[in-house]
Amino acid sequence: MRAGLRRRLGADWHLGYLFVLPMVVMVIALVAYPFVYAAYLSLTRKYVGVPPVFVGFENYVRLAYDGFFRRAVWNSFVFTFASVGFKLLLGMAMALVLTSKIRYRNLFTGLLLVPWVAPTVVSALNFLWIFDASLGVLNYLLVKVFRILPQGVGWLSEPGTAMASVIFVNIWRGFPFFGISFLAGLKAIPAEHYEAAAVDGANVVQRFRHVTLPALRNIIIIVMLLSTIWTFNDFAIVYILTKGGPGGATQVLPVFTYEMAFGAQRLGEAIAVALYMLPALAAVIIVLSRYMRRSHAK
Amino acid sequence: MTDPRLRSLAEQLDGGTIARREFLRKSAIITGGTAAGLAVLRGMASGQPKTKLRIWLFKSYVTAGNDILAKQIEAWAKERNVEPEFDWATFGDREQKFVAAIEAGNPPDVAEMNYQGPMRYKAALRDVSKLAKDLAAPRGGLLPYADRVVQLNGQYFGIARLAFGGGLHVRKDLLAEKGLKMPKVYDPDVLEVAKKTQDPSKDIWGFGQTLNRCDDGNGFMQNILWNYGGGAWDKDGKPALATSNLKANMAALQFAVDTIQKHKVQPPGVMGWNDASNNEAYMAGKLVTTNNGASLYYAMGAKNHPLFEKTQVILTPGGPAGTFVFAGAYNWGVFQKSKNHELAEDMIRWVEDEKRFEEFMKACSGQAGPVYKTRAEHPYWKSNPNYEGMLQNIMRSVWPGYPGPISPAAIEVQAQYMLCDMAGRVVSAGLSIEAALKEAHGRVEEVHKIRGGK
Amino acid sequence: MRREAIERIQAAVAYTVLGLLLLLVLFPFYWMTVTSFKTEDQMRSLVSMFWPSPFVIENYTQLLTKTDFGIWYRNSALVAISSTLVATAIGTIGAYALARLRFLGRAFLSSATLITYLVPPSILFIPLYAQIRTMGLADSLAGLVAAYPSFTVPFVTWLLMGYFGSIPEELEEAAMIDGATRFGAFRRIILPLAAPGVLAAGLFAFTQAWNEFLYALVFISDVKQRTLPVGLSTFITGDVYGWGYLMAGAVLTTLPVIAVYTYLQRYMVEGLTAGSVKG
Repeated sequence: MRAGLRRRLGADWHLGYLFVLPMVVMVIALVAYPFVYAAYLSLTRKYVGVPPVFVGFENYVRLAYDGFFRRAVWNSFVFTFASVGFKLLLGMAMALVLTSKIRYRNLFTGLLLVPWVAPTVVSALNFLWIFDASLGVLNYLLVKVFRILPQGVGWLSEPGTAMASVIFVNIWRGFPFFGISFLAGLKAIPAEHYEAAAVDGANVVQRFRHVTLPALRNIIIIVMLLSTIWTFNDFAIVYILTKGGPGGATQVLPVFTYEMAFGAQRLGEAIAVALYMLPALAAVIIVLSRYMRRSHAK
Repeated sequence: MTDPRLRSLAEQLDGGTIARREFLRKSAIITGGTAAGLAVLRGMASGQPKTKLRIWLFKSYVTAGNDILAKQIEAWAKERNVEPEFDWATFGDREQKFVAAIEAGNPPDVAEMNYQGPMRYKAALRDVSKLAKDLAAPRGGLLPYADRVVQLNGQYFGIARLAFGGGLHVRKDLLAEKGLKMPKVYDPDVLEVAKKTQDPSKDIWGFGQTLNRCDDGNGFMQNILWNYGGGAWDKDGKPALATSNLKANMAALQFAVDTIQKHKVQPPGVMGWNDASNNEAYMAGKLVTTNNGASLYYAMGAKNHPLFEKTQVILTPGGPAGTFVFAGAYNWGVFQKSKNHELAEDMIRWVEDEKRFEEFMKACSGQAGPVYKTRAEHPYWKSNPNYEGMLQNIMRSVWPGYPGPISPAAIEVQAQYMLCDMAGRVVSAGLSIEAALKEAHGRVEEVHKIRGGK
Repeated sequence: MRREAIERIQAAVAYTVLGLLLLLVLFPFYWMTVTSFKTEDQMRSLVSMFWPSPFVIENYTQLLTKTDFGIWYRNSALVAISSTLVATAIGTIGAYALARLRFLGRAFLSSATLITYLVPPSILFIPLYAQIRTMGLADSLAGLVAAYPSFTVPFVTWLLMGYFGSIPEELEEAAMIDGATRFGAFRRIILPLAAPGVLAAGLFAFTQAWNEFLYALVFISDVKQRTLPVGLSTFITGDVYGWGYLMAGAVLTTLPVIAVYTYLQRYMVEGLTAGSVKG
């Protein structure tokens, strides 16, 4: 009887359950339960202060025909993929530089991490000030100092530059995480691998392609997937810089959700907007957990 | 020490008010929670014995006014032996706090709300009709725009307090230099003034008014539609952007867009502005005219800004159909959940007392515009030509939904910046005027269908 | 000779790229700092853009004397530190169990931890607020301490799962053969070895908590209980931005984090190295 139980529950079930208990309690109380409730709300017509009325999938159907929602979906993908792509490049550059022979490496590592650790709200407000069309330092630099442009650009007021600007700030904030993760990955590569490659006569580029990249493969995938989730959910930067404007050009799903919830105060639909993102994110998560389990299994 | 909730449960059990099974279930939940460390946390969140009144106030830039209001409420609280807990919030972070608090069943006792509050939160607000009428009667009655904002079908969900005075801020020195008169209408007056005074090479622009998603953009677009005889609603409260008002609205939207694209009297980047941008630009001397609340005038006065003396505030310009102003009344709401609603109403009476309001108004540099007839007749408004300009704006005010009745749907069109989006779609996405109106009309219709009658 | 030349070119490239990255990263902070020493009049003119003239410290003195900045600072520190301790403790033991112990449901729980990452905070916070209120923690810093682990624990757990996985199992087995219990082995052998990983995870949790905005804004309505990001955002009053205060506050908020990271970043790297990175 006891042995059977032990076999069924696993050898370490005592300590195992004890150790995961706080986590499970926390996840159920603070994530799962609120989430289930939110998912239920997405199937209702729900205004503030009034009890919800069940309407089935009405909210989802209506959103599918909403042009502003569809543009927000498209914008979210543009925002996410452009940001993650550049973060990958800059993060790689950062990691390679920090592993090459430079002085004061620790100091520079710390400094390059700053955008990632500074409060996003504060950084976004700072960029609002930098991008300001008439008083901002960016236009001042381009027009008065370097004389590249004849006249200032309304960075946050033209659809193209507005999107580029919010993407830029997201990259600026996020790339150090890529950098430090890759740095960690590079440090884990045994020096012998490089020496062996050097003996084989591989040059810098070849060594990068045949030693560094394969060794970093897993971490690159994991970091990109994590960052995809974070970027997709990023709210503060777009909200502070453009609120989704001009004319919806930078409207992304989290800001759209927010507008639905607090602008329109249609909570059911707002949550439906957020839940529309889940299938895409779920795919990311599944891939992610596959890679992570594989890397743990090793 | 035992968890106080557990003790009270045990007491309830002794009194036979709850069943044993329920007790077991609840105590299991409570002990479980406590085990997770809640007791420690609760210690950090200890409560107070005195009656506490949670009061949410609007944090205005006119800090002198904020201070006086807080001081008055503190005086009241001392008199009534109440402990006030203040929370100040400003544009932008207010609505989420209201929504979250109402939904979590934890609203304040009393809150200073903007014009959207009564319609949006009426399900959670107490009917304050009696107090509203008591206050209005000796004050000559509410002005129509304020009355519409706080009242629906004869029920009052808010006690009107003030409307932001404001208007077109004009650099009178630059106009005088060129011998120009103060503009009365946008086309041609503002255009002429703007073109003759601006100097793009020095980055000085004749007019600065965004159409971006913010309160300034909302106000400008809404006023222009009315000025041209159009608007989002008809007399019966039906959506009319692209139906009966189409012609007028096309002219209005065309004009608004033209200020940027054709007449080029607006600075580059204006479509990316927020509520703060025109204040910044004006104070930096880059604008000749801009519409704004009195906060701009106050800010310059409070800082001895050189442009303070060079600025005149006038009635916002009109159009072919007249001059219309969008100004919603700020108001007090008392929440149903409040266990101290009598105290809350008592506090409102206290601060709305004419002597106390006068003290507040005088500190507000024109921002505390009248909601009652007698307040509009106060000599204060004649004491400074700029205040007179601000008063004229208030007196021309109409409500969201005009010329129809106010409705939750009309409030939503404002709150979701649908009219700003409409302009943005023309300026930024290159839609035709008509297509943008039709698209926006579709959104207004949908909101009307969903929220129209409720 | 040739090798030396290549190395010199490599160094030159490295320093150039480093310089560009530093410029990219630090210019906004330089700008923040310079602005914080300017008068409002100077901010509104394009004179002497890159250095304050006159150089004033009134933004700082007023920030410290006339606002609740000090209280916000204390609140933020309190919340960030407490919630970090909670999240790190929960995450550490949870990760150990998931990485090492054999019990039914382990695989499911590992995935579930990650899936919690899916849920966008913007939809959770209204039901979460109701939850926090039910626990009697509304309108207090304790509510934030309770809420923040909901987004920090999953990452901490994930990071440490990797870290524990990298510690050779034989060490534990050896200890247990010597008579230690499983728990004893965890406490005396594994935990000390995992210290860099725990530190890295803690740093991560701290950063997230220190920067959090949305929950802090919504859950707290008492002015005296605000945290730094929310407090700073109140310098945007109505439609006028108090750039001077904002920038001074921004500098003071960012400085300690820079100091901490300059000193502790190598633990972060170490933690990540052994953790997520293997493979």
